[in-house]
Amino acid sequence: MLLKGLALSFISSMAWCVLFNVPVRTILAGGIAGMVGFLVYSFLPLLNAEVLLSTFVSAAIVSLLSQVMSIFLRVPSTNFSVAGIIPLVPGSLAYKSMLAFVNNDYVEGITLATKTLMVAGAIASGLIFGISVVTIVKGARYAGKRAQ
Amino acid sequence: MRFAGTRQYRGLDKDVTVLSSDLVMDTCLLAGAIILKNGGETYRTEETMARIAQAAGMDDVNSSATPTSIILSFRCKGLDHTRMVRTPSRTTNLNKITLVNDVSRRFVSGGITLEQAYLTLCEIDQKKPLYPKWMQHLAAATASGSFAMLAGGTWYDLAPSALAGLTVNLSLEYLEQFVRMKFFTEFSAALLGGLFALLAVTVFPELHISIIIIGAMLPMFPGIAITNSLRDLMAGDLVAGVSRGVEAMLTAISVAVATAIILWFMR
Repeated sequence: MLLKGLALSFISSMAWCVLFNVPVRTILAGGIAGMVGFLVYSFLPLLNAEVLLSTFVSAAIVSLLSQVMSIFLRVPSTNFSVAGIIPLVPGSLAYKSMLAFVNNDYVEGITLATKTLMVAGAIASGLIFGISVVTIVKGARYAGKRAQ
Repeated sequence: MRFAGTRQYRGLDKDVTVLSSDLVMDTCLLAGAIILKNGGETYRTEETMARIAQAAGMDDVNSSATPTSIILSFRCKGLDHTRMVRTPSRTTNLNKITLVNDVSRRFVSGGITLEQAYLTLCEIDQKKPLYPKWMQHLAAATASGSFAMLAGGTWYDLAPSALAGLTVNLSLEYLEQFVRMKFFTEFSAALLGGLFALLAVTVFPELHISIIIIGAMLPMFPGIAITNSLRDLMAGDLVAGVSRGVEAMLTAISVAVATAIILWFMR
């Protein structure tokens, strides 16, 4: 089951890389970013983590991983992070919320819509977290070099 | 002319090997326009232009970019130069951004001359997308199918959701030529994809419409807008970050409304 999920996330991330016209040599790396993100995303609930926490952590790991890969492959990190967050997208939550709205169940609809927004916010803050960590590390290294 | 040399003379007006300031301006604006047109971040546009202009020996370099326009100004031998370009159409082609990044890095480190940089940028601008159209549609279908399976579909849902994703991507491309409004294009494409899902469920009642619709809407997920908006916000470019965020939100809303209409038919 997990293997199937890993293979699917790998394939869908690589397909998104093609959709965004990334350079050929970075497609595989984009797929790996998506796969690692999904691995973390499906592993954390086993440790009793909530959906929000696991989404946040996996988005942060995708972001960090794409920054590291962007240094090694010498391409902008957007190439990987865009494809990497695809397996985390809260598609079924958004669908369920629309379904509830259409069925006149507004309370349930708003609950689910808020949940969707919070998951989207968790993805965003995870990405931000990764970017800030890399920026801080880079700044610290730059300051260290200047001091010498 | 090697530019590693000219940089040492910056500030001493009389000894500067004069690069034609027009060529510097053209090169910077072309680099910026390519980045902005192909889905790059705003802060990357500003930084690239400023780096090229500074490496070419210009003083007082100021660059400002919003998602639809670029302004660059610098001072060369006591004369101010300012120009602005607009970039009305936007696509996503991350390969070009990587190439422009590479050119600017090589120019700044003195590997190529300004003329070479300009010619290379012209070539990059004319380049066709890296992957042919059919391959992109195939990729959209693959992404939709595998995402639908990730959302909990059975093997039977794979083919219909892949076809629905293909429908969405094809109609996005086809409608874009007639309707110049991005959000209406997305709305109609989502509607067509949803209608396909409805058709599939009507013909084969054992399929899950929820899974097929979730898969079908994936090619419209505004991933690049969200990522760029966050990166711009983090880089302190608030205007660009907020406007990209609103773009992502409008796309999400138009897809959600289209889904709601389809579900209303189902009721």
